[in-house]
Amino acid sequence: MNLHAIRAIYLFEMARTFRTIWQSVVSPVISTSLYFVVFGAAIGSRIETVEGVSYGAFIVPGLIMLTVLQQSVTNAAFGIYFPKFVGTIYEILSAPVTVVEIVIGYVGAAATKALMIGLIILGTANLFVDLPIAHPVWMLAFLVMTTFSFAMLGFILGIWAKNFEQLNLVPMLVITPLVFLGGSFYSISMLPPVWQSITLFNPVVYLISGFRWSFFGMADVPVAASLAAIALFAGLCLVAIWAIFRTGWRLRS
Amino acid sequence: MTSIVSVQGLTKVFPGGLQALKGIDLEIEEGEVLSLLGPNGAGKTTLISIICGLTTASGGRVTVGGHDIARDFRAARELIGLVPQELHVESYEKVINTVRFTRGLFGKKPDDALIERILRDLTLWDKRDEKILALSGGMKRRVMIAKALAHEPRVLFLDEPTAGVDVELRQSMWQVMRKLKERGVTIILTTHYIEEAEAMADRVGVINHGELLLVEKTGQLMTRMGRKTLTVELAAPVSDLPETLARRGVTLGEDGSSLVYTYDTAAKQTGITDLLADIREAGLHLADLRTTQSSLEDIFVGLVTGSTQ
Repeated sequence: MNLHAIRAIYLFEMARTFRTIWQSVVSPVISTSLYFVVFGAAIGSRIETVEGVSYGAFIVPGLIMLTVLQQSVTNAAFGIYFPKFVGTIYEILSAPVTVVEIVIGYVGAAATKALMIGLIILGTANLFVDLPIAHPVWMLAFLVMTTFSFAMLGFILGIWAKNFEQLNLVPMLVITPLVFLGGSFYSISMLPPVWQSITLFNPVVYLISGFRWSFFGMADVPVAASLAAIALFAGLCLVAIWAIFRTGWRLRS
Repeated sequence: MTSIVSVQGLTKVFPGGLQALKGIDLEIEEGEVLSLLGPNGAGKTTLISIICGLTTASGGRVTVGGHDIARDFRAARELIGLVPQELHVESYEKVINTVRFTRGLFGKKPDDALIERILRDLTLWDKRDEKILALSGGMKRRVMIAKALAHEPRVLFLDEPTAGVDVELRQSMWQVMRKLKERGVTIILTTHYIEEAEAMADRVGVINHGELLLVEKTGQLMTRMGRKTLTVELAAPVSDLPETLARRGVTLGEDGSSLVYTYDTAAKQTGITDLLADIREAGLHLADLRTTQSSLEDIFVGLVTGSTQ
Protein backbone atom coordinates (compact mmCIF):
# COMPACT_ATOMS: atom_id res chain seq x y z
CA MET A 1 0.00 0.00 0.00
CA ASN A 2 1.44 3.36 -1.04
CA LEU A 3 0.34 5.25 2.08
CA HIS A 4 2.38 8.32 1.17
CA ALA A 5 0.41 8.61 -2.07
CA ILE A 6 -2.96 8.28 -0.34
CA ARG A 7 -1.89 10.94 2.15
CA ALA A 8 -0.60 13.20 -0.64
CA ILE A 9 -3.81 12.99 -2.68
CA TYR A 10 -6.04 13.36 0.39
CA LEU A 11 -4.18 16.39 1.73
CA PHE A 12 -3.96 17.99 -1.71
CA GLU A 13 -7.72 17.66 -2.16
CA MET A 14 -8.43 18.89 1.36
CA ALA A 15 -6.18 21.90 0.73
CA ARG A 16 -8.26 22.64 -2.37
CA THR A 17 -11.38 22.48 -0.19
CA PHE A 18 -9.94 24.84 2.41
CA ARG A 19 -8.88 27.34 -0.26
CA THR A 20 -12.58 27.84 -1.00
CA ILE A 21 -13.83 27.07 2.49
CA TRP A 22 -16.31 29.95 2.63
CA GLN A 23 -18.03 29.02 -0.58
CA SER A 24 -18.00 25.39 0.52
CA VAL A 25 -19.58 26.04 3.88
CA VAL A 26 -21.62 29.20 3.56
CA SER A 27 -23.77 28.23 0.60
CA PRO A 28 -25.10 24.93 2.05
CA VAL A 29 -25.76 26.64 5.38
CA ILE A 30 -27.73 29.42 3.71
CA SER A 31 -29.70 27.08 1.46
CA THR A 32 -30.50 24.82 4.40
CA SER A 33 -31.72 27.81 6.39
CA LEU A 34 -33.93 28.77 3.45
CA TYR A 35 -35.44 25.28 3.35
CA PHE A 36 -36.20 25.65 7.04
CA VAL A 37 -37.91 28.95 6.54
CA VAL A 38 -40.00 27.69 3.61
CA PHE A 39 -40.72 24.10 4.52
CA GLY A 40 -40.32 24.22 8.27
CA ALA A 41 -42.00 27.50 9.12
CA ALA A 42 -44.41 28.14 6.23
CA ILE A 43 -45.59 24.62 5.41
CA GLY A 44 -44.71 23.10 8.77
CA SER A 45 -47.13 25.37 10.54
CA ARG A 46 -49.93 23.57 8.69
CA ILE A 47 -48.66 19.99 8.99
CA GLU A 48 -47.62 20.05 12.64
CA THR A 49 -46.47 16.45 13.10
CA VAL A 50 -45.56 13.45 10.93
CA GLU A 51 -45.83 10.16 12.80
CA GLY A 52 -45.44 11.95 16.07
CA VAL A 53 -42.44 14.06 15.10
CA SER A 54 -42.75 17.80 14.57
CA TYR A 55 -42.54 18.58 10.84
CA GLY A 56 -39.59 20.93 11.33
CA ALA A 57 -37.55 18.15 12.91
CA PHE A 58 -38.90 15.52 10.52
CA ILE A 59 -37.36 17.17 7.44
CA VAL A 60 -33.90 17.57 9.00
CA PRO A 61 -32.53 14.12 7.99
CA GLY A 62 -33.83 14.62 4.45
CA LEU A 63 -32.33 18.09 4.22
CA ILE A 64 -28.96 16.83 5.42
CA MET A 65 -29.12 13.96 2.93
CA LEU A 66 -30.04 16.33 0.10
CA THR A 67 -26.93 18.44 0.62
CA VAL A 68 -24.63 15.58 1.59
CA LEU A 69 -25.51 13.60 -1.55
CA GLN A 70 -25.02 16.59 -3.82
CA GLN A 71 -21.77 17.51 -2.08
CA SER A 72 -20.36 13.97 -2.17
CA VAL A 73 -21.11 13.61 -5.87
CA THR A 74 -19.96 17.03 -7.01
CA ASN A 75 -16.84 17.15 -4.81
CA ALA A 76 -15.56 13.81 -6.03
CA ALA A 77 -16.59 14.47 -9.63
CA PHE A 78 -14.81 17.81 -9.65
CA GLY A 79 -11.80 16.39 -7.79
CA ILE A 80 -10.98 13.94 -10.56
CA TYR A 81 -12.41 15.94 -13.48
CA PHE A 82 -10.25 18.97 -12.77
CA PRO A 83 -6.87 17.20 -13.19
CA LYS A 84 -8.26 15.70 -16.39
CA PHE A 85 -9.31 19.15 -17.56
CA VAL A 86 -6.02 20.93 -16.81
CA GLY A 87 -3.91 17.90 -17.74
CA THR A 88 -2.28 17.24 -14.38
CA ILE A 89 -3.85 13.76 -14.43
CA TYR A 90 -0.65 12.64 -16.20
CA GLU A 91 0.99 12.58 -12.81
CA ILE A 92 -1.60 10.30 -11.26
CA LEU A 93 -1.48 7.95 -14.25
CA SER A 94 2.32 7.73 -14.22
CA ALA A 95 2.61 7.31 -10.44
CA PRO A 96 3.21 4.00 -8.68
CA VAL A 97 -0.31 3.91 -7.28
CA THR A 98 -3.13 1.37 -7.52
CA VAL A 99 -6.78 2.13 -8.20
CA VAL A 100 -7.61 1.51 -4.56
CA GLU A 101 -5.08 4.10 -3.42
CA ILE A 102 -6.32 6.69 -5.91
CA VAL A 103 -9.92 6.10 -4.88
CA ILE A 104 -9.18 6.25 -1.15
CA GLY A 105 -7.40 9.57 -1.67
CA TYR A 106 -9.95 11.30 -3.89
CA VAL A 107 -13.12 9.72 -2.58
CA GLY A 108 -11.91 10.01 1.00
CA ALA A 109 -11.33 13.75 0.63
CA ALA A 110 -14.66 14.32 -1.14
CA ALA A 111 -16.48 12.30 1.50
CA THR A 112 -14.73 14.15 4.32
CA LYS A 113 -15.85 17.48 2.96
CA ALA A 114 -19.42 16.28 2.49
CA LEU A 115 -19.40 14.85 6.01
CA MET A 116 -18.16 18.15 7.42
CA ILE A 117 -20.93 20.03 5.65
CA GLY A 118 -23.48 17.46 6.81
CA LEU A 119 -22.45 18.04 10.40
CA ILE A 120 -22.53 21.81 9.94
CA ILE A 121 -26.09 21.57 8.64
CA LEU A 122 -26.98 19.39 11.58
CA GLY A 123 -25.62 22.12 13.85
CA THR A 124 -27.55 24.79 11.94
CA ALA A 125 -30.74 22.73 12.15
CA ASN A 126 -30.32 22.54 15.90
CA LEU A 127 -30.68 26.30 16.02
CA PHE A 128 -34.12 26.08 14.40
CA VAL A 129 -35.67 22.99 15.93
CA ASP A 130 -35.37 20.72 18.91
CA LEU A 131 -33.64 17.65 17.48
CA PRO A 132 -33.43 14.31 19.28
CA ILE A 133 -30.90 11.78 17.99
CA ALA A 134 -31.98 8.29 19.02
CA HIS A 135 -28.99 6.39 17.64
CA PRO A 136 -26.03 8.79 17.31
CA VAL A 137 -23.53 6.11 16.28
CA TRP A 138 -25.83 4.83 13.54
CA MET A 139 -26.52 8.38 12.48
CA LEU A 140 -22.81 8.93 11.95
CA ALA A 141 -22.43 5.52 10.32
CA PHE A 142 -25.19 6.27 7.80
CA LEU A 143 -23.60 9.62 7.01
CA VAL A 144 -20.16 8.09 6.49
CA MET A 145 -21.47 5.24 4.32
CA THR A 146 -23.56 7.62 2.25
CA THR A 147 -20.79 10.13 1.68
CA PHE A 148 -18.33 7.42 0.64
CA SER A 149 -20.66 5.57 -1.69
CA PHE A 150 -21.93 8.71 -3.40
CA ALA A 151 -18.43 10.16 -3.62
CA MET A 152 -17.57 6.99 -5.57
CA LEU A 153 -20.48 7.71 -7.89
CA GLY A 154 -19.15 11.24 -8.29
CA PHE A 155 -15.69 9.90 -9.02
CA ILE A 156 -17.11 7.79 -11.86
CA LEU A 157 -19.04 10.81 -13.09
CA GLY A 158 -15.87 12.93 -13.09
CA ILE A 159 -14.06 10.36 -15.21
CA TRP A 160 -17.02 10.04 -17.56
CA ALA A 161 -17.63 13.77 -18.02
CA LYS A 162 -16.11 15.38 -21.08
CA ASN A 163 -17.08 18.93 -20.16
CA PHE A 164 -18.43 21.00 -17.30
CA GLU A 165 -22.03 20.68 -18.53
CA GLN A 166 -21.89 16.92 -18.23
CA LEU A 167 -20.32 17.32 -14.83
CA ASN A 168 -23.38 19.20 -13.59
CA LEU A 169 -25.88 17.05 -15.43
CA VAL A 170 -26.11 14.08 -13.08
CA PRO A 171 -26.30 16.03 -9.80
CA MET A 172 -28.96 18.30 -11.33
CA LEU A 173 -31.04 15.81 -13.27
CA VAL A 174 -30.60 12.65 -11.23
CA ILE A 175 -29.55 13.28 -7.65
CA THR A 176 -31.81 16.25 -6.84
CA PRO A 177 -35.04 14.64 -8.18
CA LEU A 178 -34.24 11.34 -6.49
CA VAL A 179 -33.74 13.08 -3.16
CA PHE A 180 -36.88 15.21 -3.51
CA LEU A 181 -38.91 12.15 -4.46
CA GLY A 182 -37.14 10.02 -1.89
CA GLY A 183 -39.11 11.22 1.09
CA SER A 184 -36.95 14.15 2.22
CA PHE A 185 -39.99 16.26 3.02
CA TYR A 186 -42.66 13.64 3.57
CA SER A 187 -43.17 10.14 4.85
CA ILE A 188 -43.75 7.51 2.17
CA SER A 189 -46.84 6.43 4.09
CA MET A 190 -48.40 9.77 3.10
CA LEU A 191 -48.38 8.71 -0.60
CA PRO A 192 -51.14 6.81 -2.46
CA PRO A 193 -50.47 3.01 -2.44
CA VAL A 194 -49.29 2.88 -6.11
CA TRP A 195 -46.70 5.57 -5.53
CA GLN A 196 -45.61 3.87 -2.34
CA SER A 197 -44.59 0.84 -4.44
CA ILE A 198 -43.00 2.85 -7.24
CA THR A 199 -41.00 4.89 -4.80
CA LEU A 200 -39.32 1.74 -3.46
CA PHE A 201 -37.26 1.66 -6.68
CA ASN A 202 -35.68 4.94 -5.67
CA PRO A 203 -32.40 4.06 -3.91
CA VAL A 204 -32.40 7.34 -2.01
CA VAL A 205 -35.57 6.27 -0.17
CA TYR A 206 -33.49 3.68 1.68
CA LEU A 207 -30.83 6.20 2.61
CA ILE A 208 -33.23 8.79 3.95
CA SER A 209 -35.35 6.21 5.71
CA GLY A 210 -32.35 4.66 7.47
CA PHE A 211 -30.94 8.05 8.34
CA ARG A 212 -34.27 9.26 9.70
CA TRP A 213 -34.53 6.10 11.78
CA SER A 214 -31.23 6.99 13.47
CA PHE A 215 -32.84 10.26 14.61
CA PHE A 216 -36.42 9.32 15.50
CA GLY A 217 -36.37 5.54 15.70
CA MET A 218 -38.98 5.19 12.93
CA ALA A 219 -38.47 4.30 9.29
CA ASP A 220 -40.35 3.84 6.01
CA VAL A 221 -38.40 0.68 5.14
CA PRO A 222 -36.60 -1.75 7.48
CA VAL A 223 -33.18 -0.53 8.63
CA ALA A 224 -31.58 -3.73 7.35
CA ALA A 225 -32.92 -2.95 3.87
CA SER A 226 -31.34 0.52 4.10
CA LEU A 227 -27.98 -0.93 5.04
CA ALA A 228 -28.17 -3.55 2.30
CA ALA A 229 -29.06 -0.88 -0.27
CA ILE A 230 -26.05 1.28 0.64
CA ALA A 231 -23.73 -1.73 0.62
CA LEU A 232 -25.05 -2.84 -2.77
CA PHE A 233 -24.69 0.65 -4.21
CA ALA A 234 -21.13 1.05 -2.87
CA GLY A 235 -20.23 -2.39 -4.24
CA LEU A 236 -21.52 -1.51 -7.71
CA CYS A 237 -19.55 1.74 -7.73
CA LEU A 238 -16.37 -0.06 -6.65
CA VAL A 239 -16.71 -2.61 -9.43
CA ALA A 240 -17.32 0.16 -11.97
CA ILE A 241 -14.23 2.11 -10.83
CA TRP A 242 -12.12 -1.02 -10.90
CA ALA A 243 -13.28 -1.71 -14.47
CA ILE A 244 -12.58 1.89 -15.52
CA PHE A 245 -8.96 1.75 -14.39
CA ARG A 246 -8.48 -1.75 -15.73
CA THR A 247 -9.56 -0.72 -19.21
CA GLY A 248 -8.25 2.85 -18.94
CA TRP A 249 -11.66 4.10 -20.16
CA ARG A 250 -11.50 7.89 -20.69
CA LEU A 251 -8.17 7.96 -18.87
CA ARG A 252 -5.51 6.21 -20.95
CA SER A 253 -5.32 6.25 -24.73
CA MET B 1 26.96 -1.64 -20.22
CA THR B 2 23.69 -2.16 -18.38
CA SER B 3 20.47 -1.01 -19.88
CA ILE B 4 18.07 0.62 -17.45
CA VAL B 5 15.23 0.85 -19.93
CA SER B 6 14.63 -2.00 -22.31
CA VAL B 7 12.02 -1.74 -25.06
CA GLN B 8 11.29 -4.84 -27.11
CA GLY B 9 9.04 -5.03 -30.15
CA LEU B 10 6.83 -2.23 -28.88
CA THR B 11 3.79 -1.51 -31.02
CA LYS B 12 0.87 0.86 -30.66
CA VAL B 13 -2.22 1.03 -32.79
CA PHE B 14 -4.67 3.75 -31.81
CA PRO B 15 -8.42 3.03 -31.90
CA GLY B 16 -8.74 5.03 -35.12
CA GLY B 17 -6.36 2.56 -36.78
CA LEU B 18 -3.29 4.81 -36.73
CA GLN B 19 -0.19 2.72 -36.23
CA ALA B 20 1.88 5.03 -34.05
CA LEU B 21 4.68 2.59 -33.22
CA LYS B 22 5.76 -0.24 -35.50
CA GLY B 23 7.89 -2.54 -33.40
CA ILE B 24 10.40 -0.38 -31.53
CA ASP B 25 13.48 -2.04 -30.03
CA LEU B 26 15.60 0.19 -27.83
CA GLU B 27 18.07 -0.33 -25.02
CA ILE B 28 18.83 2.74 -22.92
CA GLU B 29 22.01 2.56 -20.88
CA GLU B 30 22.16 3.66 -17.28
CA GLY B 31 23.54 7.18 -16.91
CA GLU B 32 23.39 8.20 -20.54
CA VAL B 33 21.60 11.08 -22.20
CA LEU B 34 19.63 9.78 -25.14
CA SER B 35 18.00 12.19 -27.49
CA LEU B 36 15.04 11.13 -29.59
CA LEU B 37 14.71 13.13 -32.74
CA GLY B 38 11.85 13.03 -35.13
CA PRO B 39 9.30 15.23 -36.85
CA ASN B 40 5.87 15.89 -35.35
CA GLY B 41 3.75 12.75 -35.21
CA ALA B 42 6.78 10.47 -35.54
CA GLY B 43 5.86 8.54 -32.37
CA LYS B 44 8.28 10.08 -29.85
CA THR B 45 5.62 11.10 -27.36
CA THR B 46 3.71 7.84 -27.79
CA LEU B 47 6.87 5.89 -26.97
CA ILE B 48 7.49 7.95 -23.83
CA SER B 49 3.84 7.81 -22.80
CA ILE B 50 3.85 4.01 -22.94
CA ILE B 51 7.02 3.70 -20.88
CA CYS B 52 5.61 6.10 -18.27
CA GLY B 53 2.17 4.49 -18.07
CA LEU B 54 0.02 7.16 -19.74
CA THR B 55 -0.75 5.05 -22.78
CA THR B 56 -1.22 1.31 -23.03
CA ALA B 57 0.88 -0.63 -25.52
CA SER B 58 -0.71 -2.78 -28.21
CA GLY B 59 2.18 -5.24 -28.23
CA GLY B 60 5.74 -5.74 -27.07
CA ARG B 61 7.41 -5.42 -23.72
CA VAL B 62 9.09 -2.66 -21.71
CA THR B 63 11.16 -3.02 -18.56
CA VAL B 64 12.58 -0.24 -16.39
CA GLY B 65 15.33 -1.26 -14.00
CA GLY B 66 14.40 -4.85 -14.81
CA HIS B 67 10.76 -4.37 -13.79
CA ASP B 68 8.04 -4.99 -16.36
CA ILE B 69 5.98 -1.79 -16.70
CA ALA B 70 2.69 -3.70 -16.77
CA ARG B 71 3.14 -6.58 -14.33
CA ASP B 72 5.44 -4.80 -11.90
CA PHE B 73 4.29 -1.24 -12.54
CA ARG B 74 4.87 0.00 -9.02
CA ALA B 75 8.59 -0.82 -8.97
CA ALA B 76 9.04 0.38 -12.54
CA ARG B 77 7.28 3.71 -12.09
CA GLU B 78 9.10 4.56 -8.86
CA LEU B 79 12.26 4.85 -10.98
CA ILE B 80 10.74 7.20 -13.56
CA GLY B 81 10.29 10.94 -13.63
CA LEU B 82 8.31 12.52 -16.45
CA VAL B 83 8.17 16.07 -17.74
CA PRO B 84 5.47 16.12 -20.40
CA GLN B 85 5.45 18.40 -23.37
CA GLU B 86 2.42 20.47 -22.41
CA LEU B 87 2.48 22.74 -19.38
CA HIS B 88 0.13 20.95 -17.01
CA VAL B 89 0.08 22.72 -13.65
CA GLU B 90 -2.20 23.23 -10.68
CA SER B 91 -2.53 26.99 -11.06
CA TYR B 92 -3.81 27.76 -7.59
CA GLU B 93 -1.31 25.62 -5.73
CA LYS B 94 1.94 26.92 -4.25
CA VAL B 95 5.15 25.84 -5.95
CA ILE B 96 6.58 24.00 -2.96
CA ASN B 97 3.32 22.19 -2.19
CA THR B 98 2.93 20.85 -5.69
CA VAL B 99 6.49 19.48 -5.55
CA ARG B 100 5.84 17.91 -2.14
CA PHE B 101 2.65 16.39 -3.55
CA THR B 102 4.53 14.59 -6.31
CA ARG B 103 7.05 13.18 -3.89
CA GLY B 104 4.26 11.72 -1.78
CA LEU B 105 2.40 10.44 -4.81
CA PHE B 106 5.47 8.45 -5.80
CA GLY B 107 5.55 6.84 -2.38
CA LYS B 108 8.45 8.71 -0.81
CA LYS B 109 8.32 10.10 2.70
CA PRO B 110 8.55 13.91 3.03
CA ASP B 111 12.08 15.33 2.72
CA ASP B 112 12.13 19.12 2.83
CA ALA B 113 15.92 19.33 2.58
CA LEU B 114 15.83 17.49 -0.75
CA ILE B 115 12.97 19.62 -2.04
CA GLU B 116 14.89 22.75 -1.09
CA ARG B 117 17.91 21.50 -3.04
CA ILE B 118 15.80 20.74 -6.12
CA LEU B 119 14.10 24.13 -6.00
CA ARG B 120 17.44 25.92 -5.54
CA ASP B 121 18.97 24.02 -8.46
CA LEU B 122 16.14 25.19 -10.66
CA THR B 123 16.26 28.73 -9.22
CA LEU B 124 12.73 28.30 -7.92
CA TRP B 125 13.51 28.62 -4.23
CA ASP B 126 12.56 32.31 -4.08
CA LYS B 127 9.28 31.48 -5.76
CA ARG B 128 8.42 28.56 -3.49
CA ASP B 129 5.46 30.21 -1.81
CA GLU B 130 4.02 31.74 -4.95
CA LYS B 131 1.02 30.35 -6.71
CA ILE B 132 1.98 28.66 -9.97
CA LEU B 133 -0.52 30.91 -11.69
CA ALA B 134 1.79 33.88 -11.07
CA LEU B 135 4.84 32.32 -12.76
CA SER B 136 6.10 32.84 -16.29
CA GLY B 137 5.98 30.02 -18.84
CA GLY B 138 9.64 29.19 -18.38
CA MET B 139 9.22 29.08 -14.61
CA LYS B 140 6.22 26.78 -14.95
CA ARG B 141 8.37 24.47 -17.04
CA ARG B 142 10.91 24.43 -14.22
CA VAL B 143 8.19 23.62 -11.72
CA MET B 144 7.31 20.59 -13.83
CA ILE B 145 10.95 19.52 -13.85
CA ALA B 146 11.11 20.00 -10.08
CA LYS B 147 8.02 17.81 -9.70
CA ALA B 148 9.55 15.12 -11.88
CA LEU B 149 12.69 15.13 -9.74
CA ALA B 150 10.92 15.20 -6.38
CA HIS B 151 11.00 11.43 -5.91
CA GLU B 152 14.64 11.06 -6.99
CA PRO B 153 14.00 9.11 -10.20
CA ARG B 154 16.81 7.20 -11.86
CA VAL B 155 15.36 7.77 -15.30
CA LEU B 156 14.06 11.16 -16.38
CA PHE B 157 11.94 11.64 -19.49
CA LEU B 158 11.90 15.15 -20.87
CA ASP B 159 9.43 15.60 -23.69
CA GLU B 160 10.43 18.73 -25.60
CA PRO B 161 11.71 20.50 -22.48
CA THR B 162 12.87 23.61 -24.27
CA ALA B 163 10.00 24.07 -26.72
CA GLY B 164 8.97 27.71 -26.67
CA VAL B 165 11.67 28.63 -24.19
CA ASP B 166 14.02 31.57 -24.77
CA VAL B 167 17.72 31.05 -25.44
CA GLU B 168 18.88 32.03 -21.98
CA LEU B 169 16.44 29.69 -20.28
CA ARG B 170 17.38 26.92 -22.68
CA GLN B 171 21.02 27.28 -21.69
CA SER B 172 20.12 27.07 -18.02
CA MET B 173 17.97 23.99 -18.66
CA TRP B 174 20.98 22.37 -20.27
CA GLN B 175 22.95 23.24 -17.16
CA VAL B 176 20.34 21.49 -15.04
CA MET B 177 20.46 18.43 -17.29
CA ARG B 178 24.24 18.27 -17.04
CA LYS B 179 24.04 18.39 -13.25
CA LEU B 180 21.55 15.55 -13.27
CA LYS B 181 23.73 13.52 -15.58
CA GLU B 182 26.64 14.04 -13.19
CA ARG B 183 24.48 12.54 -10.45
CA GLY B 184 23.97 9.49 -12.61
CA VAL B 185 20.39 10.15 -13.74
CA THR B 186 19.57 8.63 -17.11
CA ILE B 187 17.92 11.23 -19.32
CA ILE B 188 15.74 10.62 -22.34
CA LEU B 189 15.11 13.81 -24.18
CA THR B 190 12.88 14.39 -27.15
CA THR B 191 13.52 17.50 -29.09
CA HIS B 192 12.99 19.36 -32.30
CA TYR B 193 16.18 21.28 -31.77
CA ILE B 194 19.03 19.33 -33.26
CA GLU B 195 21.36 21.81 -31.61
CA GLU B 196 20.05 20.55 -28.29
CA ALA B 197 20.68 16.91 -29.16
CA GLU B 198 24.15 17.79 -30.40
CA ALA B 199 24.96 19.67 -27.21
CA MET B 200 23.43 17.27 -24.69
CA ALA B 201 23.12 13.76 -25.99
CA ASP B 202 25.53 10.85 -25.71
CA ARG B 203 23.43 9.01 -28.24
CA VAL B 204 20.84 10.06 -30.75
CA GLY B 205 17.85 8.02 -31.88
CA VAL B 206 15.92 9.06 -34.94
CA ILE B 207 12.22 8.14 -35.13
CA ASN B 208 9.96 8.60 -38.10
CA HIS B 209 6.58 7.04 -38.92
CA GLY B 210 6.71 4.94 -35.75
CA GLU B 211 10.02 3.34 -36.63
CA LEU B 212 13.37 3.81 -34.99
CA LEU B 213 15.62 4.52 -37.96
CA LEU B 214 18.85 4.45 -35.99
CA VAL B 215 20.40 4.87 -32.57
CA GLU B 216 24.02 5.93 -32.56
CA LYS B 217 26.63 7.76 -30.51
CA THR B 218 26.24 11.44 -31.37
CA GLY B 219 29.90 11.84 -32.38
CA GLN B 220 29.94 8.63 -34.41
CA LEU B 221 26.80 9.59 -36.23
CA MET B 222 28.31 12.93 -37.08
CA THR B 223 31.44 11.32 -38.45
CA ARG B 224 29.67 8.52 -40.25
CA MET B 225 27.00 10.62 -41.79
CA GLY B 226 28.80 13.90 -41.63
CA ARG B 227 30.07 15.47 -44.80
CA LYS B 228 32.28 18.47 -45.19
CA THR B 229 32.07 21.09 -47.84
CA LEU B 230 35.15 22.89 -49.14
CA THR B 231 34.45 26.23 -50.73
CA VAL B 232 37.22 27.78 -52.80
CA GLU B 233 36.80 31.46 -53.46
CA LEU B 234 38.42 32.45 -56.77
CA ALA B 235 40.39 35.61 -57.35
CA ALA B 236 38.50 36.14 -60.61
CA PRO B 237 35.16 34.59 -61.61
CA VAL B 238 35.08 31.92 -64.36
CA SER B 239 32.25 31.26 -66.78
CA ASP B 240 32.90 27.54 -67.36
CA LEU B 241 34.06 24.86 -64.99
CA PRO B 242 37.31 23.24 -66.25
CA GLU B 243 36.73 19.60 -67.30
CA THR B 244 39.38 18.23 -64.87
CA LEU B 245 37.52 19.75 -61.93
CA ALA B 246 34.05 18.72 -63.11
CA ARG B 247 35.25 15.09 -63.16
CA ARG B 248 36.10 15.37 -59.46
CA GLY B 249 32.53 16.37 -58.68
CA VAL B 250 33.26 20.03 -58.14
CA THR B 251 30.44 22.44 -58.88
CA LEU B 252 30.58 26.07 -59.69
CA GLY B 253 29.21 28.40 -57.04
CA GLU B 254 26.88 31.27 -57.73
CA ASP B 255 28.13 33.84 -60.25
CA GLY B 256 31.20 31.67 -60.95
CA SER B 257 33.34 33.18 -58.24
CA SER B 258 33.70 30.01 -56.17
CA LEU B 259 34.16 26.26 -56.47
CA VAL B 260 32.24 23.90 -54.15
CA TYR B 261 33.56 20.46 -53.28
CA THR B 262 31.81 18.05 -50.91
CA TYR B 263 33.71 15.17 -49.34
CA ASP B 264 33.25 12.47 -46.75
CA THR B 265 35.16 13.08 -43.53
CA ALA B 266 35.26 9.37 -42.81
CA ALA B 267 36.89 8.52 -46.19
CA LYS B 268 40.58 7.60 -46.21
CA GLN B 269 41.33 9.93 -49.08
CA THR B 270 39.46 13.16 -49.24
CA GLY B 271 41.04 14.11 -52.57
CA ILE B 272 41.72 17.65 -51.44
CA THR B 273 45.43 17.61 -52.30
CA ASP B 274 44.75 16.42 -55.87
CA LEU B 275 41.92 18.90 -56.20
CA LEU B 276 44.13 21.83 -55.22
CA ALA B 277 46.79 20.66 -57.72
CA ASP B 278 44.16 20.49 -60.47
CA ILE B 279 42.91 23.98 -59.65
CA ARG B 280 46.44 25.27 -59.96
CA GLU B 281 46.95 23.44 -63.25
CA ALA B 282 43.73 24.90 -64.62
CA GLY B 283 45.32 28.28 -64.05
CA LEU B 284 42.85 29.48 -61.43
CA HIS B 285 43.95 31.73 -58.56
CA LEU B 286 42.63 31.25 -55.04
CA ALA B 287 41.34 34.13 -53.00
CA ASP B 288 40.20 32.16 -49.95
CA LEU B 289 39.40 28.66 -48.66
CA ARG B 290 36.75 27.59 -46.18
CA THR B 291 35.32 24.27 -44.98
CA THR B 292 32.00 23.65 -43.28
CA GLN B 293 30.87 20.56 -41.37
CA SER B 294 27.33 19.35 -42.01
CA SER B 295 25.32 19.58 -38.79
CA LEU B 296 23.20 16.93 -37.15
CA GLU B 297 20.30 18.83 -38.63
CA ASP B 298 21.41 18.09 -42.19
CA ILE B 299 21.97 14.47 -41.25
CA PHE B 300 18.56 14.30 -39.69
CA VAL B 301 16.80 15.89 -42.65
CA GLY B 302 18.63 13.45 -44.91
CA LEU B 303 17.49 10.47 -42.84
CA VAL B 304 13.92 11.54 -42.45
CA THR B 305 13.37 12.46 -46.06
CA GLY B 306 15.11 9.21 -46.99
CA SER B 307 12.64 7.22 -44.89
CA THR B 308 9.67 9.16 -46.18
CA GLN B 309 10.43 8.47 -49.81
